[in-house]
Amino acid sequence: MRCPQPSAGALISLSLLLLLLSTCSALYEDQIKKRSVHVGALKHAHVDLKHFQPRVLLTTQEQVVASLCPKTGQIIWRQVLEQRARGDIKMLQVSGFADGSSDTAAAPMGSHLGFDMLTVQGHAPALVRGWNTNIGTIEWEWSIMPLHTERAQDAVWFYSNSILYHVVPAWRSHIEVTAYFSTSGHTTGSTSKIMAAWIKPESCLLSGSYFVCLDGKQLISLDLVAKSTQVIATSLAAEPSSKIETLPGLNGVLIVNKKLVSVNKDQAVCGELTSASYVVGSFNYRKVVAYADLVDGMLKINAVYLDNCSPVPELQMSVAFAEDYGTPSLRSFDCKLKRNDDGKGCLFLFATSAESIMAVQQGRIRWAREESLANIIDTQFIDLPLADTEGTLENEMKGKAGEFIPRNGDIVTAFMRRITAQALQMKSMFLHLIGLGPPPTDTQRAGLVRDSFGLHKMLVLLTRAGKIFGMDNIAGKHHWKLYLPNVAGFENAEQMRLIVQRSSKHFPLQPLCAIVAKFVNNSNGVLFRFNPITGRAAEGGLLQLDYQIKQFSLLPETEVDFVKGILILDAANQVHVEPKHATPLADGMYLYTADVKTAELEGYIVKYAGGELSCLPIWNVRLGGHNSEQQIISVAGKNPIEHVHSQGRVLGDRSVLYKYINPNLVAFVTQAPDAAHKSVLTLYLIDVVSGSVIFSMTHRKVRAPLNIVHSENWLAYSYFNDKVRRTEITTIELYEGNAQANNSVWSSLQAPFMPLVERQSYIIPTIVEAMRETITERGITNKHVLIGTASGGIVEMPWHLLDPRRPISSSTQGREEGAIPYIPELPLPTENYINYNQTVARLRNIYTAPSGLESTCLVVATGLDLFVTRVAPSKTFDLLKEDFDYILISIVLVVLTSGSLIVRHLSSRKLLKQAWK
Amino acid sequence: MSYMAIVLFSLLATSWSFLEHDSWITIDLHHSLSSSKPDHFSHRGNISIPSLNAGLSTVVQNPLTAAELDNIKLLAKQNGFYRLRATVSYPNGNVQRFLTSSKACSLLMAQFNDVLWISLDPYGYVTGVTASQDLAPKSSECSTDDIQQVKENNFSSDVIIRHAELAPVPDTGSFIQKFEREREARERGEVRDTRGFFAKYWMYIVPVVLLVFISGATNQDAAK
Repeated sequence: MRCPQPSAGALISLSLLLLLLSTCSALYEDQIKKRSVHVGALKHAHVDLKHFQPRVLLTTQEQVVASLCPKTGQIIWRQVLEQRARGDIKMLQVSGFADGSSDTAAAPMGSHLGFDMLTVQGHAPALVRGWNTNIGTIEWEWSIMPLHTERAQDAVWFYSNSILYHVVPAWRSHIEVTAYFSTSGHTTGSTSKIMAAWIKPESCLLSGSYFVCLDGKQLISLDLVAKSTQVIATSLAAEPSSKIETLPGLNGVLIVNKKLVSVNKDQAVCGELTSASYVVGSFNYRKVVAYADLVDGMLKINAVYLDNCSPVPELQMSVAFAEDYGTPSLRSFDCKLKRNDDGKGCLFLFATSAESIMAVQQGRIRWAREESLANIIDTQFIDLPLADTEGTLENEMKGKAGEFIPRNGDIVTAFMRRITAQALQMKSMFLHLIGLGPPPTDTQRAGLVRDSFGLHKMLVLLTRAGKIFGMDNIAGKHHWKLYLPNVAGFENAEQMRLIVQRSSKHFPLQPLCAIVAKFVNNSNGVLFRFNPITGRAAEGGLLQLDYQIKQFSLLPETEVDFVKGILILDAANQVHVEPKHATPLADGMYLYTADVKTAELEGYIVKYAGGELSCLPIWNVRLGGHNSEQQIISVAGKNPIEHVHSQGRVLGDRSVLYKYINPNLVAFVTQAPDAAHKSVLTLYLIDVVSGSVIFSMTHRKVRAPLNIVHSENWLAYSYFNDKVRRTEITTIELYEGNAQANNSVWSSLQAPFMPLVERQSYIIPTIVEAMRETITERGITNKHVLIGTASGGIVEMPWHLLDPRRPISSSTQGREEGAIPYIPELPLPTENYINYNQTVARLRNIYTAPSGLESTCLVVATGLDLFVTRVAPSKTFDLLKEDFDYILISIVLVVLTSGSLIVRHLSSRKLLKQAWK
Repeated sequence: MSYMAIVLFSLLATSWSFLEHDSWITIDLHHSLSSSKPDHFSHRGNISIPSLNAGLSTVVQNPLTAAELDNIKLLAKQNGFYRLRATVSYPNGNVQRFLTSSKACSLLMAQFNDVLWISLDPYGYVTGVTASQDLAPKSSECSTDDIQQVKENNFSSDVIIRHAELAPVPDTGSFIQKFEREREARERGEVRDTRGFFAKYWMYIVPVVLLVFISGATNQDAAK
């Protein structure tokens, strides 16, 4: 098999790289970047081992066409196609594997058909594309625009004998079938209309050339390519409990109640088989049906010959199957072409409910791809645990858990403690050296120990499928995986959330994360608590709540176990706290809810009295306008871990303009259609504790897509300007003025009402897909805005350029203040792209987290691909340069010291000699 | 002082943006004074605003009864919220209810002087009504003695209307103008400079000539 493997060229480049590395052994920025490339959850798949270049051709739910290496699962090529309905892949047809035509198993891969592989995408227009499967290029393309666009949404396609059939059902009336030559797009004749009043949208499907509908206990079917349009009724033993499915590869065969049923009288099936998933393939020049089931954690694969239903012993196998993959379903299989096959060359391709793609060969899992990572919805960086020695030291310093040490204890005991702690450390180090120390824990063995700069962290990724990953942010290794079946995002288009309940700071206690989600079956809330370092469930793991979650918030840490409780507002406006012992901390908490559709906000205060939690509505705001035509399209609060280092801005005349830093300020953006201005976008800044509308601003002829960042005293948001057809960014800064109302404590209830608002708009010559501000430990470092573009690049934009106080006329005042003169278009220099050529396909979100170094911020960009790196907005001022020459400086030091010694010696000798003269 | 500034700002704000179709609204105010019955609201007064663009209002409010005053004092002691419900009626008969709260204590400390902020969306519909008290220094602490001394029972409210402002657009016009001006200035500068070669570059020529002289002189010295 030929797959992208380290070839000679790669080896040469590797050795070159090594040579270069040996000349300067340093870590450069491009080496700390990690990108993993994904394709998405499997839609159609075709394993092809008989081709001169064995490959797995597939299309995915993310509208990607790709070819994988059957040996390793690596991507040979990948094409990311159009998004949304336009790119929806309806059909994948690989040449030489057509239903009913030249599909004897040994048929040569026919180029006489004019294509290697063809795909059909979208409905209006429908795009038919022919692909070169070796290099992944489109060779030809044709499209059709259907007459009835809305009817064409349900259109299906099938291929038979070089002809592509477009089947448009008009529900409860008729079926329109048009045949096209597959490579040219010419019709073979007129559209034929077949009367069929029995077709219903919910129970019909296409199986090969048969249009089949379920009607109670019978299947009604129609062969669309037959001369006579005769309706065939096939009765079933029982009414199917689940949806009927088609079995690709066999014309007119369906899977009903886990059994095979044929509506095609020329096609016999083995009706007594029962399995969750079937697939048709060929083995030893005979057609076989393979099926696979999960039995007690073992994946059992079986196969029967289609002609006589006798089992194929060579293909029988059972494989240990990890729970975190979810439920597998067999999607395709193929065997290498050889006589008297022993079945060892057969590859079975599975798609699982946790959106993995895996290949089974010779009784073991050959490879598995975690494609749920193509849909990451939340991430967190978790500090790694301390190394043992540091841990004990820290523990001694803090005092043992539960033991109370007064801060102002007398100096002698503190000194004694210090000495004993260090003696203990010495002892453990000595034991470790002679190999008698305590054995390293699992996490330490895996290299998961905190580094001195806090750059090495555990990256916890939550995916839409409910799979959770613990990933090393430097090596990119998946340390653990968890799968939560039957969870989903919330109403109001809210996704599941990943929250940190206890950080790694409380040493003997392990960190704790939680996932807040909705249970699919009854839409009640679900909490799942786990240890983010080991990936094991903690505190009881999965907790099914008996109420629906409307809003939740984190409480401050408890004194006992340092867990941040979760305050939950349920659908009946009752409040709950989880874990229960944190309940008293909920007293005096404020909560708010926002309904996206009606654009209504409501604020509540939570009270705890007499062991009872209660919540009282205290304010409401209606952004919906008159008939609630306004809808909230974005809500942006500030990062709760953010620190603002400088409280003001020094002006040209050396006075200070104080920042309006309100941690409770949340930005809401609404959009509504407008008669005069097409579409109107309004930004509201609302204090969610007092419920006051601090500021509001309207954009005319402007619409989504909207991306917004909100931090410190500023916010920046990008939108599409419909009038001039370009993307623009508006920035806002809020200032209290020349005096601060209260510089020690912020209270929203006694806040200055009208901050000064600076605003400015800029043109950005790209399409913005995601925005995020950088964040650092103490907030001393400058803030940059990371802008993800549609081409997959991430641009680091300094706040100086987005500053709304950039002066239009180059006045001296602006220059004194350090502001750059205003230029309407923002520059996008290529050196500001932090990912160079490693573009992130379908970039959706950027997450940032502080590292242990003040200068450095950790970044994860998610989309179809995953990209992890770190940025230093103010350069690495607290680090020596990577290419710092330690050898040179030590040589210089040694030479200088020894030189001065020698010179001193010489001069004393000279003095002595002179004295003798 | 800050209040004056706020009024000034609001005047400025109204001058920045105003409604295309001016209209009037009336607001009915009800308040909840009892912590034991949080859902019971009693009538406080009403406000009519004949023109949203002009921003002038007439406020009619009932004085508090002694029992109500006691209730508020009790509420303040419990550090409770004084909740105000504003029912806004529009000319087309639509009615919307808004809720706002402030600490009962700060209302007492402010002697029932409060400011009602009415925020409008770009079409002139109310988005939120907020009651706030003037910021008095040291008002964050609520002492029982101070509360008991309050004898005032009349509300005195100011109404401030806040319009949605119009967002800035990228200012390409003035940038191009500035650019043009600079270009013109440069061109004008080039045209005006009609001085001769020596007049323009004498400052470069003189030192060179001087250098030549000096070096020549020293060479002559050396030759001698």
